Amino acid sequence: MSGAAGKVGVVGGGAFGWGLAHAARRAGREVLLWSRRPQREAVAGITLVGLRELAAADLIFFAVPSPVLPELARELGEHLDGAHYLVHVSRGIVGDELMTLSQVLRSATPCRRVGALAGPLVAGALERGEPGGGVIASRFPEVHTAVREAIGGKQLRIYSSDDVIGAEFASTAVGLMAMAVAYAQGIGLGPATLAVMASRGMAECTRIGVQLGGRAETFAGLAGNGDLLAAVAGDGRPELAVGRELAAGTLLADIRRQGGAYVEGIESARRIAAYARRTGARAPLVSLCADVFDRKIGSAEVVEALMSRQVGGE
Amino acid sequence: MLAALMRSLMFRLLSQPLRLPAFLGPAARPDDPQIFRFNGERAGIISDVVRRVAQHYAGQPERLLYLLNEAGNAEIRRLASQGDLEASDALGDWRRLIKRLGKMGEEERRGALRDIVGRMAGDIAGNFDVRVYGLATKIIPGLLTAIMSPGDMPRQLLSGFRSLDERILAEGPIEKLRRLAKIGTLVLVPTHSSNLDSVALGYVLMREQLPPVVYGAGKNLFSNPLLSFFMHNLGAYQIDRRITAQLYKEVLKTYSCMMIERGYHSLFFPGGTRSRSGLVERRLKLGLAGTGVEAFARNQARGISRPVYFVPATLNYALVLEAETLIEDHLKGAGQSRYIIDDDESSRAEAWFKFFAKLRQLKSAMVLRFGEPLDPFCNPVDDEGRSLAPSGRTVDPASYVKFHGVATVDPARDAGYTRELGDAIAREYQRCTVILWTQLVAHVLYRQLVAQTPELDLFGRQRVRGATMPRAQLVAEVGEARDRLLGFAAAGRVHVGPVLQSQPPDHIVDEALTAWSGYHTRPAASAKGNDIVIEDPNLLLFYQNRLVPFAEDLATADTLTAARTIAALGGRA
Repeated sequence: MSGAAGKVGVVGGGAFGWGLAHAARRAGREVLLWSRRPQREAVAGITLVGLRELAAADLIFFAVPSPVLPELARELGEHLDGAHYLVHVSRGIVGDELMTLSQVLRSATPCRRVGALAGPLVAGALERGEPGGGVIASRFPEVHTAVREAIGGKQLRIYSSDDVIGAEFASTAVGLMAMAVAYAQGIGLGPATLAVMASRGMAECTRIGVQLGGRAETFAGLAGNGDLLAAVAGDGRPELAVGRELAAGTLLADIRRQGGAYVEGIESARRIAAYARRTGARAPLVSLCADVFDRKIGSAEVVEALMSRQVGGE
Repeated sequence: MLAALMRSLMFRLLSQPLRLPAFLGPAARPDDPQIFRFNGERAGIISDVVRRVAQHYAGQPERLLYLLNEAGNAEIRRLASQGDLEASDALGDWRRLIKRLGKMGEEERRGALRDIVGRMAGDIAGNFDVRVYGLATKIIPGLLTAIMSPGDMPRQLLSGFRSLDERILAEGPIEKLRRLAKIGTLVLVPTHSSNLDSVALGYVLMREQLPPVVYGAGKNLFSNPLLSFFMHNLGAYQIDRRITAQLYKEVLKTYSCMMIERGYHSLFFPGGTRSRSGLVERRLKLGLAGTGVEAFARNQARGISRPVYFVPATLNYALVLEAETLIEDHLKGAGQSRYIIDDDESSRAEAWFKFFAKLRQLKSAMVLRFGEPLDPFCNPVDDEGRSLAPSGRTVDPASYVKFHGVATVDPARDAGYTRELGDAIAREYQRCTVILWTQLVAHVLYRQLVAQTPELDLFGRQRVRGATMPRAQLVAEVGEARDRLLGFAAAGRVHVGPVLQSQPPDHIVDEALTAWSGYHTRPAASAKGNDIVIEDPNLLLFYQNRLVPFAEDLATADTLTAARTIAALGGRA
């Protein structure tokens, strides 16, 4: 590696990018942050740099929405080599085959030591240093250590896992289920209905995640159900706002304008539903979510569609 | 009596490695592959294995005690159940060790470890005889031709065994591999379908002027005297799969790693065992092949920058020697538990003759396709052996094993790279699969069987006998599927064998029916009037499984439902 050891890079100047930068700064690390449209001024220890200058960092976080990640990874990848560690924090999947973003990082850059940071991490809490935790999933133990050293500490517990696909897919599932829960609350459904929807929805995603190569226990952990619990408790994540707007009947285009890229859950629902249809996997709830988000089903029909499914063993 | 004595003598001669003094053979030239120097290095390699394993446990008396204890108990269990004369000597040694282990001092235990590792490594280490290699290059083409077509020998001699070349094809970046073999160490990682694989591969390497490789072969394969002779003397090392002791696995890995470190081109079947289902392997653990990553890192840490290139390859047979046993084993769900099958077709001489006799009727009966070589970190390499980033610029492979600029040996890190490599090789398998005519005809017939039996599950369907398909419909669907396959081949998704490329669909169907008749106990399918009768759904399943990843894309609206059932057998390409 060409640069000084110990620097942490961040791709993305949104709330999450800055949250990570502050967490790393608190851990005593020098941070290099790149943003296409920097919305804030540099502060002590956090320097705004050009994309290629991020190559001076050992560990680089990608805190950008999934649609823009491949292009940025390709561009930055031109300046990286096998010594760099890349970790993304996005909730999303790409293409018909539900390619995860760590797979995108591997195919767009020469880096192999990649990982995904998942779990109930919220930008504001990261920035303020509130107690919390997350999961770093990577096949490489040195990536676990690097992330733990870069942002972990007494207030932030970073657990490790080698189930990368499981953690990424669980995180994606939570993104869409959080929207679905907020939508259901918005149209006035009660806690029991929400519980049925959330737990059965996660069960469907677990089945598909296992089919893709993940492990079921990852979905039961911090990256899956733990994260969903934080969302249901109302941790203020953007997916909840999108779900509420959908329930209020706001047009998707308007939501997109307000919510920036946090409509990833809508795209994820469509992709997972299409994949399930094609492979014969059972995913009626995810398909229902996709139809609701696309306005193929109105709020009045949701409950009937939800409750009229055949009941079998759990 | 004399004949029996001769047979026994012959067997003993063939099943022992030839260890003639080196001065009796030609001296290795500087540009000869490393394997030509193996017999001179053999003792040094074994003692290096002993040193490295001993070093691994130095200063860890608790782990050493556990290791010896586990090895002793595992070996006692195995040898006691083996119960033959060979076992009883070794059994006594292990029992004595276990009895004394608790009372031994640390130095004595280290001595015991060195002895055991030395014995194990000596048993594993192979042999390479340049004279046998020279002989093999001259006689194997003739031997194979003679078995396949005895009357044709004189003409074949004159034509340089062209007919064999027509039956066993080799494709892929062969010129590039020749160059890479001179720059670095090749680690061949092919699919595994048959016990014939290593023979076919050895022959193709020889014919294509690629260097011979060292490879681990199951000890059970050494019981066939002819195979044993060539394996013993052409670089095969023995893997005794009955030994479950952790220590044995460590010795095996250390040996394999050391061979790659020293520049010996190697061959591994990363799927572990022969594909029972006929499916191209999709999830690979790599096993011993993973030692290629460690070998690269160890060399870098010592300042040796010799590259390692992993070369995926697919072996594609129109007929598989052991098809019946393999698919039966798969359907019993016993694929892994019957890890060693020692009673299949490949253990019976008459099956080999019948198989080769059948091959002579077939054109391009086997296609070996080499894929694009990869560095240990899944990067493709250019013609000069330089690793390439996705953008096409070169990337330094040493950067993957460096920590703050210094190359290190790190087993946990290398385990991560090995998993990545397993995924990359499996993807390359899909791209370099060559679809042959028997597989396509089997697929269309099996799709028809699925369509006719929507109410049955896999096991119910496999019991159906006598289902039929009108020949005209089969020919039409084969033609349609073939055209689509050619489209996929043009898009780089897969490759298609010469018969499928050049023959009209009705010839393709005839060729498949001919291939199946007369070799297997029962043909997969046969013609009766204007119909094709499915006689053995198991064989059909086996041959069609190569097309599982393409099933949906080959189907028309009428056949899509059946194709989806087939696709569910193993995922998409």
